[in-house]
Amino acid sequence: MTAPEGGGDAARDALSRSPRGVGAPLRRKEDARFLHGRGRYVGDIRPAGTLEVAFLRSPVAHARLLGVQKPANGLVFTAADLTEIAPIRANSALPGFRPSDQPALASGKLRHVGEPIAACVAASRAEAEDLAAACVLDYQALPAIADMLAARAPGSALIHEHWPDNAFLETRRDEDLADLDAIAAAKVRRRLRTARQSMAPLEGRGVLAEWDPRLEQLIVTTAAQMPHVTKTGLAECLGLDEGQVRVVAPDVGGGFGYKGILLPEELVCAALAMRLGRPVRWLEDRLEQLTANANCREHFYDVTAWADAKGKLLGVAVDATVDAGAYSAYPFSACLEAAQIGSIFPGPYVLPRFRFHTVSACTNKPPILPYRGVARTGVCYAMETTLDALARQLGISAQAIRAANLVPPTAMPYRNLVGKVFDSGDYPEALRRAVAAVDVAAVRARQAAGETVGFGLSVFCEQGAHGTSVYHGWGIPFVPGFEQAQARFTPDGVLELRVGLHSHGQGLETTLAQVAHEILGVDPARVRLVHGDTALTPYSTGTWGSRAMVMAGGAVAEACRLLGERALAIGAALLQAPVEGCSLRAGAIHHGEAQVTLDQVARTWFRSPQNLPANVDRGGLDVTAGYRPDPDTGTHSYAAHAVVARVDTETGNVTLEQYVIVEDGGVLVNPMIVDGQVLGGAAQGIGTALYEEMPFDTEAQPLAGTLADYLLPGATEVPDIRIEHMETPSPWTRFGQKGIGESGAIGPPGAIVNAINDALAPLGAEVLDLPATPARVLAALARAGRA
Amino acid sequence: MKPAPFAYARPDDWPAALALLAEGARPVAGGQSLGPMLNLRLALPERVADLRHLPGYAGVTVQGETVRIGAGTTHAAIEDGAVPGRLGDILAGVARRIAYRPVRNRGTIGGSLAHADPAADWVAVLPALPGHAVALGPAGERRIPLAAFVLGVFETALRGDELLCAIELTALPAGTRFGHWKFCRKPGEFSKATACVLARPGAPPTAVLAALDAAPLVIADAAALLAEPAAEAARIAAALALDDPWRAALARTALRRAAEAAR
Amino acid sequence: MKITLTVNGAAATVQVEPRTHLADLLRGELLLTGTHLGCEHGVCGACTVEVDGAPARSCLMHAGACDGASVCTIEGFGEDAVMAALREGFSAEHALQCGYCTPGMLVVARDIVLRLPDADEARVREELAGNLCRCTGYRGIVRAILGVLAARRGAAT
Repeated sequence: MTAPEGGGDAARDALSRSPRGVGAPLRRKEDARFLHGRGRYVGDIRPAGTLEVAFLRSPVAHARLLGVQKPANGLVFTAADLTEIAPIRANSALPGFRPSDQPALASGKLRHVGEPIAACVAASRAEAEDLAAACVLDYQALPAIADMLAARAPGSALIHEHWPDNAFLETRRDEDLADLDAIAAAKVRRRLRTARQSMAPLEGRGVLAEWDPRLEQLIVTTAAQMPHVTKTGLAECLGLDEGQVRVVAPDVGGGFGYKGILLPEELVCAALAMRLGRPVRWLEDRLEQLTANANCREHFYDVTAWADAKGKLLGVAVDATVDAGAYSAYPFSACLEAAQIGSIFPGPYVLPRFRFHTVSACTNKPPILPYRGVARTGVCYAMETTLDALARQLGISAQAIRAANLVPPTAMPYRNLVGKVFDSGDYPEALRRAVAAVDVAAVRARQAAGETVGFGLSVFCEQGAHGTSVYHGWGIPFVPGFEQAQARFTPDGVLELRVGLHSHGQGLETTLAQVAHEILGVDPARVRLVHGDTALTPYSTGTWGSRAMVMAGGAVAEACRLLGERALAIGAALLQAPVEGCSLRAGAIHHGEAQVTLDQVARTWFRSPQNLPANVDRGGLDVTAGYRPDPDTGTHSYAAHAVVARVDTETGNVTLEQYVIVEDGGVLVNPMIVDGQVLGGAAQGIGTALYEEMPFDTEAQPLAGTLADYLLPGATEVPDIRIEHMETPSPWTRFGQKGIGESGAIGPPGAIVNAINDALAPLGAEVLDLPATPARVLAALARAGRA
Repeated sequence: MKPAPFAYARPDDWPAALALLAEGARPVAGGQSLGPMLNLRLALPERVADLRHLPGYAGVTVQGETVRIGAGTTHAAIEDGAVPGRLGDILAGVARRIAYRPVRNRGTIGGSLAHADPAADWVAVLPALPGHAVALGPAGERRIPLAAFVLGVFETALRGDELLCAIELTALPAGTRFGHWKFCRKPGEFSKATACVLARPGAPPTAVLAALDAAPLVIADAAALLAEPAAEAARIAAALALDDPWRAALARTALRRAAEAAR
Repeated sequence: MKITLTVNGAAATVQVEPRTHLADLLRGELLLTGTHLGCEHGVCGACTVEVDGAPARSCLMHAGACDGASVCTIEGFGEDAVMAALREGFSAEHALQCGYCTPGMLVVARDIVLRLPDADEARVREELAGNLCRCTGYRGIVRAILGVLAARRGAAT
């Protein structure tokens, strides 16, 4: 049994290297049910008597709501009918933050297309939609704020009328950089935009609410990444005590941040279930998702950067605006992304001087949510394309300018000028390997022959599993603390693990079993994970921020270690040997040649207590342990992406020919699953780079209502990505593992657009805005006089 | 996303189908275009008439030089070689790039043509081929040249009391050259520009430019395009005066590339 | 309306509205929830089932069109050797994460294996274009299908 506090090379070297332990590419325990269609998602659960809800949603982006004429027959509920629901409040303690109340059902004003106005309730969804279609809305249209940069224009309509202008928050770091003009060898300024996206998990949101009269408890089964946070939010808004609310997240068909929110629809279904005494269900459809909930990624950057002749950065100034939408969503608030931009813009680089100003603009669009990578995808895009612009101006390579600025391994752990602490790693080595994996000379030869083909890079690091010390200052509705796990044996010796976060594709049923195997030697097949049910698991802020494997992994390891100590004591007594002479390995307590299995120990505790030693720990074979890395400033995984892209200058179409990722996630608990996370994230990043965009018209009407208009990358758009791993342990986590779940989605836009711009450079053209659609590529060529 | 209520009828013979049509029923074949519109409540028929069980609705028959493709023949059947000879090769190549295989297994050539979505593949290709659409109405069959069948966006030469029952094409000699190019960023996406050029031995080449949010542009004599693809494609595309420079570039490129492939 | 169809080899007679599509019929009436709804407009492929021996979008077949059809869902492939090999390959290649696209993906994968025994990677990717996965980046799915194809070719020689 290993019991170090964890971290660094020592933790890595102490690993058992068991084919079922930490580090093994163990096949997933959860696969069998999904491969046979036996997954159980919210939409698969329909208790007898369930009523279905369809929402009447706002057809306009900004209006005064004057009334809703309900159909003569049928159950239709408006805000006036459900006054027991308090508005959703996700305030931030950051100075200057302006709170917004988000009503579960609109009252008084309509602030974005798709905002729920009335709940229409019927025996089937089709009939509920019939009711919604029969409602007549009366409203007075107001001028819509469709563009974040116009949101604060003098005389603009006010979305929240008690505010002086349409902004949730501004943040800034002042530093006068004017002197750099005189000393810099190169200076570039770029204005860059990223598009509003839909996260588009394959399964939409879904809620089933029931009232249990026996327990006097509301049971909300919901596709949620953070069930305990949802529970707190439900209790607050419904005026219940938290013991009266149970949230169950069953199988969830993809999250990516889309399901890390307290939903107005959850509140409405809950209130209706309590009112009607019947199970009440709402299942989001794709039309709702696209038109009412395209809610992420829309940033604008105005970046100026100065460098010396070797490409070393002298300073960066960035003015960034994030389109935060109409409300502050619970729990992450409307300002998470914009405020994060200031702290992460320096990226993996040594930046000596830095000025930033950010605005969280309030617009008539759906409230922003953090999508996989959060602000990092936009920040990486802005930083990496700016670096390439500098390199082009200086006549040095993309590799050279990055090598000149990356934090060197000798500086680790490294604290940058805005206080971010990078734990470990060799960033320049990742860059070297990524470049070496691509035949850059061949690309240059093709360019010389006149082909519009290009090579692009991006390098970034990703803070994950950051905890109390980082979040307490934000003042949002939760602060992550000690992650807890419960480990206990059942009477037949099966190990049950209970964690409060949720696995929706990440494979935690497998990886946490690997952790348990690492500590106790138990067979992962005999480990059962209970997760995502607030009645059965310890509190957790849930699955977000690339934190599950660091936090729950650490907590499970600690709970198993303590459970092992208890089992060891019982086992030693059964062996009639002193505890200090016994050891726990391979699922048994050994003393010399003699052994008792953990199964026997469990059976003794539960079914033959007469054989227990007199001084046995009366807590039994059931341990809850808490874990938080120290320091808890987070792990930093990092990666270099290298891309070869070909541009068809007649159509503007871009083809990805090669894609290489060199990634360092510290010690990999399950390399197969890590690859899956990186690949899946990269596919989403390719969507951000080339395909995905929810256009809005000047009235803030979303224009892509189907997946034929909103293009998600398919098997033909995602190349066969090659991944190389480095494994620099984090010095601060239990096994040296790092959070890596979001990483793949961060790098692609920067690397891909850099490759496109490398291809277009001989033509003098440069793409600035995402996604780099064929139309935008042709427009860039036209600006350069080449189309 | 569930349809509004509608009634369903399954006529067993053509007179019954025409009678349902006269009563206002919406004809449906494979349902791969109407299905989404129903689910999205973009189509609100009171009744649909399912044509799939009509006699002779699906299947290919050859009589001399005439190949008759039942309107209910699926894209997948055509992809898999239901039509013989050089014509069959050409049609199979087009069919394979329609939407996705599970859609092609249900969707039909006649349903697609009668629906007349400007981005649809048959709408963009059939007008280049020698042949007719066969319409059946109360007065019997009527043959409409394929080049004149699609009149606009979702608009055809079918009269309100007629059903499209077959496509009749003339078999193509082995030496027929065919170029087809469409712009989709990914398979199955609605095309943003489609062109095809057909060059038969002993007949003037024909061409179609389609998927431009308008009726397909049929070029009855595309000899100039075949001779000078770049210049002629640019001239034809410019004459369309498209507002969007990207779509204009795609139109030009589609025509040129289709022509080059047909040379 | 009352319709009769064969589902996974057994006759089923159900009373549904004409507007009910096959996916809702399978899920709601027959409790076969392995067929998933992802878009209900034919693009995502999550609802793909086998109808009369060929893959079809169950979200685009309304009740009338189902009358008399023979349907096989992810729950119905029993001991089918190709499906068994695909399941094994999907697990070995980590071709699934959240599992939501998986049933539709498997139905299409089986069709690829049976219909296109010589398919290469490019063809497999083209044939998969109508099935979206938001989790995996497709590499595992493509590799799993190619692996089953290669094994069958090997067994045939």
